[in-house]
Amino acid sequence: MALVEPGPTGVKTAAEAVAAVDHPPADRSSRQLGVLFWFAAGWILLLVICAVFRDLLPFRDPDALGIRTREVRKFEDPSWNAWFGGDGQGRDQFARVVQGARPALIIGITVTLIGGFIGSAIGVTSGYLRGKVDTATTVVIDIFLAFPGLVLLIAVRASFGNSMLVFIVLFSITSIPGYARIVRGASFALSERDFVDAAEAMGATKRRVLWKELAPNVAIPVLSFAFIGFALVIVAEGGLAFIGLSLDEVTWGKLIAEGTGDIKDHAHVSLIPATVMFLTILAFNLAGDSIRRLYSPREVATQRRLRVEGIADVNPDGSVLHISDLYTTLHTPAGDVHAVDGVSLSVRAGQALGVVGESGSGKTMILRSIVGAFALSDVTRSGTVEVAGVDMLRAPRGQVLRTLGTEIGMVSQNPLTALNPVRRIESQIIEPMMVHRGTSKAQARERALELLRLVGIPAPERRLREYPHQLSGGMRQRVTIAIALANEPKLLLADEPTTALDVTVQDQILRLLSGLQQEREMAMVLVTHDLAVVKGFTDSVAIVYGGQVVEYGPTSEIFANPRHRYTVALMQSMPDLDLPSHSELITIDGSPPSLLRPTPGCRFAARCPAAQDVCHSLTPAASERDDHWFRCHFPAEITPVSVGAPADSEAD
Amino acid sequence: MAGTGNGHLREDALLQVDELVVEFPARRKQVVHAVSGVSFDLAKGETLGIVGESGCGKTTTGRAVMRLERVTSGSVRLNGADLTALDGEGLRQARRAMQMIFQDPVSSLNPSRRVRDIVREGVDIWGSERPNIDDWVAEVLDSVGLGDEGVLDRRPHEFSGGQCQRINIARALVMEPDVLILDEPVSALDVSVQAQILNLLEGLKTKFGLTMMFISHDLAVVKNISDRVMVMYLGKVCEISNTHDLYANPTHPYSRALLASIPGHTLDLPPAGELISGELPSPLDPPSGCRFRTRCPRATELCGTEEPVLNEVEPDHWVACHHPE
Repeated sequence: MALVEPGPTGVKTAAEAVAAVDHPPADRSSRQLGVLFWFAAGWILLLVICAVFRDLLPFRDPDALGIRTREVRKFEDPSWNAWFGGDGQGRDQFARVVQGARPALIIGITVTLIGGFIGSAIGVTSGYLRGKVDTATTVVIDIFLAFPGLVLLIAVRASFGNSMLVFIVLFSITSIPGYARIVRGASFALSERDFVDAAEAMGATKRRVLWKELAPNVAIPVLSFAFIGFALVIVAEGGLAFIGLSLDEVTWGKLIAEGTGDIKDHAHVSLIPATVMFLTILAFNLAGDSIRRLYSPREVATQRRLRVEGIADVNPDGSVLHISDLYTTLHTPAGDVHAVDGVSLSVRAGQALGVVGESGSGKTMILRSIVGAFALSDVTRSGTVEVAGVDMLRAPRGQVLRTLGTEIGMVSQNPLTALNPVRRIESQIIEPMMVHRGTSKAQARERALELLRLVGIPAPERRLREYPHQLSGGMRQRVTIAIALANEPKLLLADEPTTALDVTVQDQILRLLSGLQQEREMAMVLVTHDLAVVKGFTDSVAIVYGGQVVEYGPTSEIFANPRHRYTVALMQSMPDLDLPSHSELITIDGSPPSLLRPTPGCRFAARCPAAQDVCHSLTPAASERDDHWFRCHFPAEITPVSVGAPADSEAD
Repeated sequence: MAGTGNGHLREDALLQVDELVVEFPARRKQVVHAVSGVSFDLAKGETLGIVGESGCGKTTTGRAVMRLERVTSGSVRLNGADLTALDGEGLRQARRAMQMIFQDPVSSLNPSRRVRDIVREGVDIWGSERPNIDDWVAEVLDSVGLGDEGVLDRRPHEFSGGQCQRINIARALVMEPDVLILDEPVSALDVSVQAQILNLLEGLKTKFGLTMMFISHDLAVVKNISDRVMVMYLGKVCEISNTHDLYANPTHPYSRALLASIPGHTLDLPPAGELISGELPSPLDPPSGCRFRTRCPRATELCGTEEPVLNEVEPDHWVACHHPE
C-alpha cells in the first residue's frame, strides 16, 4: 500500500505522511464521486447533445409562430403537447430553450479556454519566477479585479454591437485575472516543493520547469476553477440580457428577459428558462467541486462519529492506566482501518511505559484511543480504557471530560501547533486550572510561575507575557509540559515529545519529563519511533507492529532478551555507534502491513527471516515469562543483542 | 570554535570549498549569518558527513555548493573549475556534474509524472553518451532495487517513502554525477527503511565510484556512512576528522556535547548537561570570537576576543578550539 498520497497542490510534509495513516488514501478509481457528480455530468452531457444536434433532433421550429403551426398557442401552459409551453408569440418554448444551449456552450467554452489558458500562463510564470515579475503581475491583477468589469462590458458592448465575437473577447479579458490569481497561488506553493529544486539542480531550464514540473500540477485546480468560471459566464450573459444587451442569438438570458413582462400571469415563460439556467450553473459548479475533491483526498468527508462496543473488564491491580483488549476501528471511505487490534497495556503510578513502533504501526492511535480524539473520523472502540478509575469509553461525557482535564496531561510532538499562536503563554497555562479546578486568577498565575520554574524556563515573569513564536522549540516544549502538569495529572501522555527537537535539546527534555514523572509519582506513556529514547527513561516497553502489541515487558529485559523477531530486527537495523564505519546494517525487507486488510497469522510474517508456513496462517499465542510477554511462533533465542550497550548500564 | 582556517584542505581534492560565506538579508537591514567561512574538501570516492543541529548551516552549505543558494563569498571548485564564478548557462552546464538528494523523498518527486519520466529527466535535458538510454535507466533502477518492469509506468503516490527515496537516488545516478549531495536523505524514513537506504548507498558508492556529501543531524547514521566527518555549529566548522578519530576521540566541546546527547550511547563522556548549556544564539547577531563560547563550560576571555582557527591535533583530525579536550 502506498503510504503517502500527495494532493496535487497540497504541500506534503513528513508529519502529514504519518497523519495519512489515519486517513488512508483510497485508489482514485474506487473513490466515490457521489450522486451529485453524476447528476451534473448527465446534465452537461444533455446540454452538449442539444447544442450539437439541435437541428437533427425532432423538435419544432423555434421561430415558428403558433398561428402557423396550429400546435402552440400564445402563452400556452406547459403540457404534453408543448413541454415548456408557448411564449408570448406562440413559439414553442421547449424548442427555444434547446436553441439557447448552443450559444451558452460556445460562449462558455471559448471564454473558459481563452481566459483559462492566458490567465494560467500568466499565473504560473509569476508564481514561479517571483521577484519583480510577480509583484508587477499581482498589482495588475488586483487593479483588474477591483475594476468594475460589468460596467466596462456594458460600455464596450454599447459601442461594438451584439456580435458573439465581441462578447467572447470581452468576457475572456475579464476572466483572465481570476485564473491568473489562483494559478499564481498554486504555483507559488508548488515551486517551494523539493521537486522543483531537484529539477533546477539537474539543470532544467526555467521553461522546462514551468512546462514539465509546474503546469501538470496546476492543471487540476485550473480545471476545477474552469467549471465554476463557466457558470459565471452564463450568469453574466443572463445579467446583460436582462438590461437588453444580449446577443443576436436566442440565449437563455434573453428568454428570461422576454418573459418578465408577463411574469404575473404566465410565469412559466420566464421561469422555465431560468430553471434551465439555474440547473446548468449548478451542474458546472458541482462538477468543478467534484474534480477538486477527487484530487484532495483529505476533503473526502467522513461523518464524525465515536462509537463504543462491548463491555468493560476489571482493572485488577489499580493501575492508573488500564487498557484491556482494545480494538479501535476507523471507518473510512476506503474501508475499515484496524488501527488498534486487541491491545492490552497497563501503567501504575510512578511507572513509565514506552510504546515503540514505526510510522503506521498504530502507536499514536493507542494514545488517541485513550483520550478519544480522532479528528474527523468515524471510529468504533471496543474493550477497556480506564484512567484513574474512570471508564473512558462508557462513563458519562461530563466525567470523561473532567478526567481529561484533570487526570491526564498531554505533551505532543509539535509544540508550536499544540500552543495557540495568538494567545500569551500566561493565559494558556492558567486557563486549564481556572476551568477544571476553579482556581482564582491570582492563584493560577502564582502557580504558572511556579510551573515555568519547575520546567526550567529562565525569567518566567517575562515569558508569561510572551507569545509562542517568541520562544525556541525547546522552550515551547517546556511550556507544553508546564501546561500538562498544571492540574497535577495522574497520567502523562507524551506523543513523540522530542522528535521535532535537536539532539541536545531532546536530551534535556527527556530528562525533565522523566524526572518530573518520578518525582510526582505520575504514570507516563512515552510514544516514540526511537527505541533508544525509551531505553533510559521507561520501566516497561511495548513494541507495536501492525496495530498489535507484539512484545511487552520490563525495559531492561526487552533490551537484554528481545524475543519477537520484529523487535530483534528493529534493534539491529539501528546504526550502532559501537560498530566501525561502513558496517552493513541488518535490514527488514518489504514494507509495513496494511491496517486496511490485515493478513491472517502473524502480522510480521511477510517480512520475517524466521517465518514458516504456520506464521502465515495462525496468529501466534502469547507467551509470557516473568512479565515478559510476546507473540511469536519462532522467537529469538535468549542471547543479548547489542543496541548500544547492555541495558542495565542505563536503567534507572 | 567558530573556527575558520583552511589548513586542512588537500591538494588533490575533487571538490574544494574554500571560505564559503552565505548570508541572507533579514528585516530591518539585518543579516542572517547562515554560513560564515566554511572550508572543506572531498577526495574522489570519499564520503564526507556533515553534522550539526538545526541552524548550524549544514543544509545551507549543501545548497550553496549546489548553487541553489546565492554564495556571498568564497569559492567552490569542482575538478579545479570555480563554480561560484558561473551564472546562467554556464552554471546550468556545471550542475550536470553534481546531483542532490533531498530530505523529503515524496515532495522531491513531481506527483503528476511517471517514474520513467522522472528518472529520465536528466538525460532528457542533457542527452547521454550511452547508446541505449532505456537500458541505462533500467540498469540504474535495478541498482537501486527497483528493477521490476512495472515500476516505470507508475506515479510517485503508488510508492512508500523508502521507495520514493530510491527513485530520487536513481534520478541522480542516471546523470553519472561526480559529486552526490545528500541532505538528510534518511531523516523522514523509518528505522528499518533507513537501514535499507544506507546499505544501498554504501553499495552504490562501490559500484558507481560515488563521491558523497552526506548531511545529517543523526550522528549514528553519519558514523555508519562516512569516511570523514565535519561538525558544524552556527555557520562555522568545529571539527573535521576521519570518522574513526572523531567518534573515538571527540575533541571540540560541541562535538563532545553532541555525542553525549545521543540517547543510550555508551561513549566515555560526561552527561550532556555538563558539556552544553543555554540556547542557540541568533544567527542575526552571532557571538564574537568563538561562536560556541556562550554555551561552552570551558570558555575564557580569549574565546570572546579571538576566533579559533582549525588546528591539526592528530593526523587528519582538525579542531577549531582554544581549549580542546
